Amino acid sequence: MFISFVTIKGGKNVEKRETMWEAYLRRGFSRRTFLKGCVALTSLMGLSTDMLDKVVEAAETKPLPVVIWMHGHECTGCDESFIRSASPLASDLVLTNIALEYDHLLSAACGEPFEQHLEETVKKYYGQYILAVEGAVSTTNNGTYCMSGGKPFVDNLQHVAKGAAAIIAYGSCAAYGGIQAAKPNPTGSAGISHYVGTKQVINVPGCPPIPEVMTGVVMHVALFGKLPTLDSDGRPRQFYGNRIHDTCYRRPFFDAGMFADHFDDAGAKAGWCLYKLGCRGPETYNSCGNLRWWQGMSYPIQSGAPCIGCANANFWDSGACFSERLPKYGPLPDVDIIGAGLAAASVVGVAAHGALSVVQRHERDKAEAKENEGKEQVAGK
Amino acid sequence: MKAVQRKMFYLFSPFLRIFHWIMVDAIIVMFVTGILIAKPPEINALEPAQSMLLVNIIRQIHFLAAFGFCASFVFRVYGFIINKGDRLFPRFWEGHFYSETVDVALHYMFLRKAHKSYLRNPLARMSYFGLYVLVLIEVLTGFAMYNMSEPNAIGGLMFGWVNTVLGGEMMTHIVHHFTAWAIVLFASGHLYMVTRAEFMEGESEVSSMFSGSKILAHDPLDAKELE
Ligand code: SF4
Ligand code: SF4
Repeated sequence: MFISFVTIKGGKNVEKRETMWEAYLRRGFSRRTFLKGCVALTSLMGLSTDMLDKVVEAAETKPLPVVIWMHGHECTGCDESFIRSASPLASDLVLTNIALEYDHLLSAACGEPFEQHLEETVKKYYGQYILAVEGAVSTTNNGTYCMSGGKPFVDNLQHVAKGAAAIIAYGSCAAYGGIQAAKPNPTGSAGISHYVGTKQVINVPGCPPIPEVMTGVVMHVALFGKLPTLDSDGRPRQFYGNRIHDTCYRRPFFDAGMFADHFDDAGAKAGWCLYKLGCRGPETYNSCGNLRWWQGMSYPIQSGAPCIGCANANFWDSGACFSERLPKYGPLPDVDIIGAGLAAASVVGVAAHGALSVVQRHERDKAEAKENEGKEQVAGK
Repeated sequence: MKAVQRKMFYLFSPFLRIFHWIMVDAIIVMFVTGILIAKPPEINALEPAQSMLLVNIIRQIHFLAAFGFCASFVFRVYGFIINKGDRLFPRFWEGHFYSETVDVALHYMFLRKAHKSYLRNPLARMSYFGLYVLVLIEVLTGFAMYNMSEPNAIGGLMFGWVNTVLGGEMMTHIVHHFTAWAIVLFASGHLYMVTRAEFMEGESEVSSMFSGSKILAHDPLDAKELE
């Protein structure tokens, strides 16, 4: 899916904007640093090294893409993750790789002039900017549970989304509604995709997403001017194409049947599979298993915490407690014990029914015998 | 004692019978392995390399049984095509089906001395329809989980929607597990009812699943349907 929004010469009302190379030059970086940056970007975007030429070319010629970053119904935890991206460094990304025009959290400006700047940016780069959205939309009571600049966020979003060339939904909130959408969802939280018209949204779920995934996705759109390959749920396949369970380094323990049964037992200490402690790795699509977090240092499972499936839609209402595989209902035990109980009860019930049936049959036979006797007597007379 | 006259009614084709017994085996295997997968047994190996890869093998057996079971439906459908006695579903669209179901149900609740004689016990047929629904749920949720190791391959595209409909893959696991228990409860009821019919009412419910024929002392109401 190609989107031709980054054009230097084509656009009428577009002033000359810096390219990435020019931004590097302005900041006094060497060509070598620039090329190193390009190599890092190439591998991060999951492209083969053959593509390096294309990346360098794009970085030299394409003007920096304008990015508008909006925050909705959320905790800004995704930003916390984003600014910890190491390759590329989030600071490099923000300062030299994209032209970030509006961001609640990272901008120094605030108040009315800031909102005015948003308006101007939307007008000036209409149809060309990348819109990154963090946070769900709140829909109950006309969206008044999430206001920004005096207006409901959902209205702001719809307004800005109209002119966006590409829309990225960062985090499980923007993608699926987030924890605030958990039952009973008092604020009517929902993912943004239904509120941006018919445009394809790139879903980058996670609570938060992995930093390098966040930067990787925006750089892909920025450099190539097209969306990365998406799966049926709108997630970039490169980062969300595998289950954690299928990439988890503890998988051999799973296959071998070596499990931690408690958080403090020998298995947990030895680093065995966390399946019995409710690990959602078998149901979750994310890059935690292969990219890992904090420059590959670790990820929750490696640190001994079962995956909670934070990149899944509805992970907050996933049916069972995070540390269990099967749901329990109040004081009742899980379904295996209930099921076994019901099966035992059915055996008792069946035995009782059988006994009653024997009685019934006996009565019936007796009645029939009597009837026959009667008939015979009648016939005999 | 009068001598009882018995008549033989050929009902079930060999294909249906083969299907039935494959289903029995597959359900037993899948239930046992399924429970083991949900709650894996303890193994006291020290290294994965020294273990027998137990969970892995259990999963493979489960998958194998699942594929075998699905494939065996070919027998069922083929039997339905070539033999009048094999029927896929009860005749919901015929009014007498309901009154006959009530007749049988009242008997089983001891509110009636006996029910009329049927080749195809309508209440049992109703329960088999219920079983098919449960099996369908198991097949859909099962493949939805199985295929998602490659979500963008054909299987993932065919069954991935089940996860979306149920509200997440974890829910799919849970539904799959609950439905398995429902099938076990069906099986315990079924086992009793057929044994009871065979040995108490003389209705050949068990023997006909081996021989294909029902040998009855009375003329069933629906005997004409075989002609
Ligand atoms: S720890 Fe979780 S993701 Fe890893 S193998 Fe075990 S169940 Fe799978
Ligand atoms: S391991 Fe699971 S819960 Fe943890 S960050 Fe990754 S996807 Fe989210």
